[in-house]
Amino acid sequence: MRYILLLLSNDVRRRLRSPLAVILMMCIPLVITLIIGLVFGRSGTVELPRIKVLLLDKDQGFFGDFLASGMQQGELAEMIELVPVEEAVGLEMMQKGKASAMIEIPEGFTNDLLDHKQVELRITKNPSEAFLPMIAEEVTRTMALILDGGMRIFAGPVGQIRSILEDGRWPTGMDLQGMLDGARDRLLLVNDYISDSLITYRTEVVSEEEKEEEAGFNVFAYVLPGSMLIGLLFISEIAMRDLLREGRTGTLARLFTTPVEGEHIVTAKILSTFVITAAASVVLLLIGRFGFGIALGRPAPLILQLVGTILMCTGVITFFYGFLRSERAADAVLSVVIIIMCLFGGSMVPIEQMGRTMLRVGRFSPVFWAINGFKRILVEDMGLREIVPNLIVLYSLGIVTILAGAILLKRRVRRGGWSGSA
Amino acid sequence: MIEVKDIRKSFGDVQALKGIGFTVREGEIYGFLGPNGAGKTTAISIISGLLLPDSGSVTIAGMDIRKEGRKIRNILGVIPQEIALYEELTARENLHFWGGLYGLSGRELHDASTQVLEMVGLSERADDPVSQYSGGMKRRINLCIGLIHRPQIILLDEPTLGIDPQARINILGIIKSEVSQGKTVIYTTHYLEEAENLCERIAIIDDGEIKAEGTLGELTQLVGEKDLVTINGTFTSDQARNFLEGVAVDHLEDNMVRVLVSESSAISRLLERFFTAGVSVGEVSIKEPSLESVFIKLTGRELRD
Ligand SMILES: Nc1ncnc2c1ncn2[C@@H]1O[C@H](COP(=O)(O)OP(=O)(O)O)[C@@H](O)[C@H]1O
Ligand SMILES: [Mg+2]
Repeated sequence: MRYILLLLSNDVRRRLRSPLAVILMMCIPLVITLIIGLVFGRSGTVELPRIKVLLLDKDQGFFGDFLASGMQQGELAEMIELVPVEEAVGLEMMQKGKASAMIEIPEGFTNDLLDHKQVELRITKNPSEAFLPMIAEEVTRTMALILDGGMRIFAGPVGQIRSILEDGRWPTGMDLQGMLDGARDRLLLVNDYISDSLITYRTEVVSEEEKEEEAGFNVFAYVLPGSMLIGLLFISEIAMRDLLREGRTGTLARLFTTPVEGEHIVTAKILSTFVITAAASVVLLLIGRFGFGIALGRPAPLILQLVGTILMCTGVITFFYGFLRSERAADAVLSVVIIIMCLFGGSMVPIEQMGRTMLRVGRFSPVFWAINGFKRILVEDMGLREIVPNLIVLYSLGIVTILAGAILLKRRVRRGGWSGSA
Repeated sequence: MIEVKDIRKSFGDVQALKGIGFTVREGEIYGFLGPNGAGKTTAISIISGLLLPDSGSVTIAGMDIRKEGRKIRNILGVIPQEIALYEELTARENLHFWGGLYGLSGRELHDASTQVLEMVGLSERADDPVSQYSGGMKRRINLCIGLIHRPQIILLDEPTLGIDPQARINILGIIKSEVSQGKTVIYTTHYLEEAENLCERIAIIDDGEIKAEGTLGELTQLVGEKDLVTINGTFTSDQARNFLEGVAVDHLEDNMVRVLVSESSAISRLLERFFTAGVSVGEVSIKEPSLESVFIKLTGRELRD
């Protein structure tokens, strides 16, 4: 134990003295996160699959149409696929998780609005998805705000509109022109239309578990886990490579002239890989928290997920080093292995966007389980129960690969196996 | 103190050690003299427990290296030929780490490192990273690490390789003082002068074998009081044989003959025979009895780096 601690603290001290390689590897996820974040805006929208939103229009009036057509314009149309449904069908689809959200326009919505009565929009969200429903909600809220503001501005011409609508014909250009003229004058007078909103809306999640969702969606939280995994795997790799480096520089041979045994050396190297990777991941998450404003979720799931991820990184790398005999071989093999694992695990392109086949393949990459768990915690604020599969995969894979790697390494790192510095 | 019996070691097809055996007495400094590739490092690696021999046995202080390796390593100080230090750490940090592995800690460890640093005159640079040291300074720290736990037995593998004369004098002085304190030392080198000046007994090793062993006096006895004369030229061995009647021939081949002569007149007589026969003679070298002439006699070549 004493030997292991001495070896471990020596490894960590040396890494602190020459931290450049690790720092560079930590910059990769930070830079990726920053760039993607800046491109899409802080709480903006990432390029996502089209969000399927069901529209249950019980009103069948003008404002329902307005809301619907508003959502199908320009950029919004690229994001949102609006599907008009009947109530029964809509509810069933939501229950089966076939859509991200359902917007319900209540009966009499148009008339009530025209009468300046309080109206309510209902948004039902799919609980198994995190940000897609959030975007749908954002959009509806914006549309409602426009509608609401419009009602204030058009307060004068409302009578006109009503008569037009009740005539059963759509407003013509002339009608609108007249209304707008009147509205312009009023606009100058009405500046308080934001307050005391006429349209309120209620958000529901399909499941019983009602919880208040944070309205803001942090795009960094969505990007950081994937890019962080690339960095962490490379950092584990750098830490474990030190073993081969010690073999080359002669310190490993020298260790064998002391009372230390091979198993001390291997154990300490695995531990130092774990510690260095852990330190880097904590720093990355803290930068995520305070630099990018990512909410870190609840402590228990976060810590368990973090430890599992570090175990997995340490294990996968240790396992490969069980076979790699030179730093050159490590260079050639490991960067490819890491990149492939990350690619299929969804580090570069979010796995949700890669289609069903890729999604299935991705499950074979341990990186998928790490990223997925972090997203559940950071983006969706999920609890322990929801990340159990992730934890099982990460811990069992981590422990198995660490043990296998340790056995493979111990066979090579032993007295008599190293031919000195010749 | 150290008993080596018939150890053999091969690396693939290369027979690095072809069965060597020797005994080092307590408090003795025993030299291993041999050219590069002779097998010195391999022998030291086996004695220090880094390599296992293919066959043969090594007993140190009555303990078998195969059975009581850990105990032996605690009383052994090994200074490897290749400098093995953590370059990113300071000299003192290196000493603390290696000293810690030998069971030193706290005050004791601190004092021990201060002491060895003073010994090699690097106290003032002790807190600089080793990466900023010159080659000679690194060699000295390399030595310190092997001495920090005050081992009873010290194994040095070419500790003065490629350093400036001043550092060499420093290192040789330290080894002498260790020996005067009763330490047992094995010292490998390919410098004749070091072996001559430092070692009580010397083993001449070449091609994985010990060619001769003994004190400096005993070894020079091998060439007797005679000078070793080497004549190079253009002649066949048959041709040369005609001129060599009554001369002690050590070695003969085409274009080269090595003989032992006791008086210088014999040399001129011999050369005259070559000249009168019209044989061209290129180079003639005469070595007085010394370790060098012994070495040449035993290995058939000169020792140069
Ligand atoms: N690890 C090794 N693998 C293959 N050959 C080796 C190895 N170590 C030493 N040798 C060979 O064994 C012989 C003796 O080497 P070494 O003990 O280093 O000699 P010295 O220290 O006297 O220069 C040389 O021929 C060398 O090439
Ligand atoms: Mg050598």
